[in-house]
Amino acid sequence: MSNVVLKDVHKQYQDTHVLSGIDMNIEDGEFVTLLGPSGCGKSTILRILSGLTDATGGNVMIDGKDMKKVPPKNRQVGMVFQSYALFPNMTVYENVAFGLKMRKEPAKEVAEQVEKMINLVGLQEKKEAYPHELSGGQQQRVALARSLVVRPKVLLLDEPLSALDAQIRKHLQVELRTIQRELKMTMILVTHDQEEAMTVSDRIFVMNQGGIAQEGTPSEIYTQPKTEFVANFIGRYNVFSKEQLGKLIGKNAVVSADKYAIRPESIHLQPQPSAYKLHAIAGDSIMNGNVIRTIFHADNKQFTTEQLHHQASAFEKGVEYPLFVASEDVIALS
Amino acid sequence: MAYQENEKGFVETMKKFTIVMLILIGIYLALPILATALYAFSTEWNKTILPEGLTFEWIRTLFQDTRFVEAFGRSVLLSGGAVFISILFIVPAIFVIVLYFPALEKWFQASVVMVYAFPGIILSVGIIRFYSGTSLPMILAVTGVYVISVLPFMYQGTRNSLRNVQGRQLMDAAELLGASKMDAFRKVLLPSVYPGLFVSSLLSFSVLFGEFVLINLVVGSRFETAQIYLMTKLSTSGHIASAIVFVYIVLMGILTLVMATVMKKAKGMRRT
Ligand SMILES: Nc1ncnc2c1ncn2[C@@H]1O[C@H](COP(=O)(O)OP(=O)(O)OP(=O)(O)O)[C@@H](O)[C@H]1O
Ligand SMILES: [Mg+2]
Repeated sequence: MSNVVLKDVHKQYQDTHVLSGIDMNIEDGEFVTLLGPSGCGKSTILRILSGLTDATGGNVMIDGKDMKKVPPKNRQVGMVFQSYALFPNMTVYENVAFGLKMRKEPAKEVAEQVEKMINLVGLQEKKEAYPHELSGGQQQRVALARSLVVRPKVLLLDEPLSALDAQIRKHLQVELRTIQRELKMTMILVTHDQEEAMTVSDRIFVMNQGGIAQEGTPSEIYTQPKTEFVANFIGRYNVFSKEQLGKLIGKNAVVSADKYAIRPESIHLQPQPSAYKLHAIAGDSIMNGNVIRTIFHADNKQFTTEQLHHQASAFEKGVEYPLFVASEDVIALS
Repeated sequence: MAYQENEKGFVETMKKFTIVMLILIGIYLALPILATALYAFSTEWNKTILPEGLTFEWIRTLFQDTRFVEAFGRSVLLSGGAVFISILFIVPAIFVIVLYFPALEKWFQASVVMVYAFPGIILSVGIIRFYSGTSLPMILAVTGVYVISVLPFMYQGTRNSLRNVQGRQLMDAAELLGASKMDAFRKVLLPSVYPGLFVSSLLSFSVLFGEFVLINLVVGSRFETAQIYLMTKLSTSGHIASAIVFVYIVLMGILTLVMATVMKKAKGMRRT
């Protein structure tokens, strides 16, 4: 239950700039996600927040208090590591109890809290098991329970779900969100899976090369990408240059920006009121669940469209079709 | 299909070949040991294929000889002491470097190679030359060399265990849960790497226990170890010498067994 502020945080290893001027403002009880490709500095931000790594410049504040002189163990920041980092010499119970014992809580209190937390993550049966006797998903729950039981002000999660298979991952995403709502804890999740970010977060920070490319709610990020990088990373956006799009839908439609993005599902076969019209030749179609994805060719550009299966009149390869896209679905990028 | 069968046949042949080789090597190594052990328990064994009779006489004589017991004690003290010093001073340094200054590891690796590269005889000459004029007792000089010469075992054992359990992350996780570095080290890291550390220590101990060249050249009979005692007995009584070797083999056997057990247990603890 705390707000977290990063002000112009820099990190540098010898000559390489890993973070360049990170500004973040995370509200009390918010669930935010750091989303970005491998190596963009997500883990580094978490390590700086927790105090395990020192920033080269800038400030970290939790609850309005500058953290510069506060060692990790006093920051009340919890962290779930990508590889869980469970203590191999301790049972599930002892792992979860560790933090409370370090805080010298009375034994009775410890037992009570640990039992409660182990129940919350559904591991009653595995209390006496050692980490190596657990499945990946179970280990992940222990790691979560171990961090939650000490009631950190802020919980950091470094790709905790990436090692799990899709089904368990989906399940744990929901569970994580539920627990977060229940405890009203500020949580920062790192991921490079855009779908995961969309499902769980209140707000997303998209990162690229040590900077924040865009921040916003999942729907803002999804419907209004600001840059080509975000458009490409978030969805399977079609990105057009000014010239390319001008040729397709007419010169006076494109004035403000050099690049434009159009979501595959906002290109329609049916005429729409106040929509741009374009012509393109259908290429290959791919079934993807209940969605049909078709590649179209027009002059020097190819792009994809997506349609729900039941409403799709299958495109015939090699045939030219008229297509429609609403003007508000043509997004100018900066 | 045919290709696969060929492949299978080849693997089978290789397997048989390996087994035969292992058996041959086993016989080559085991025969002298068995013969020595047998000799240590035989009354007379000159003209017959098998000994004429069996006796505990030689073993008994050996353990009644205070010179042997003392020499054995010295060996244990010297090797154990060197390992102990290494655990006390070298191992913490290895921890800190592997966990927090991995860039410095290359220096450790260099020193590991140097330890392998310098044979005992060259070291001895160096030590005699350098320290014999000083007030440092030669036995301490030897202990120092021992501490350093087990560095490869201690370093590799400790480092591998630390890597296996992802030591740095364990420290970080413990600290974030409110533990001080000291607590994190004592309650989490040490118990996690303890099996590896223990095995390295035993290995180091057994290597030092068998060391002869350095101690004989630098200190010799002034600090008679089990190995030196064995050397002197070799020329006087074959039976007693065999008895010493037998005791030595039993000791090493026990150490190996303990190491194997600990390693087997530790396997479970490792992350899968
Ligand atoms: N100790 C270090 N020394 C030098 N460079 C480092 C160090 N730690 C991280 N880096 C560099 O900092 C950059 C960011 O690393 P970071 O671990 O934060 O990436 P990430 O976004 O978490 O990536 P991933 O998704 O792969 O985990 C990387 O290019 C990495 O090489
Ligand atoms: Mg990372």
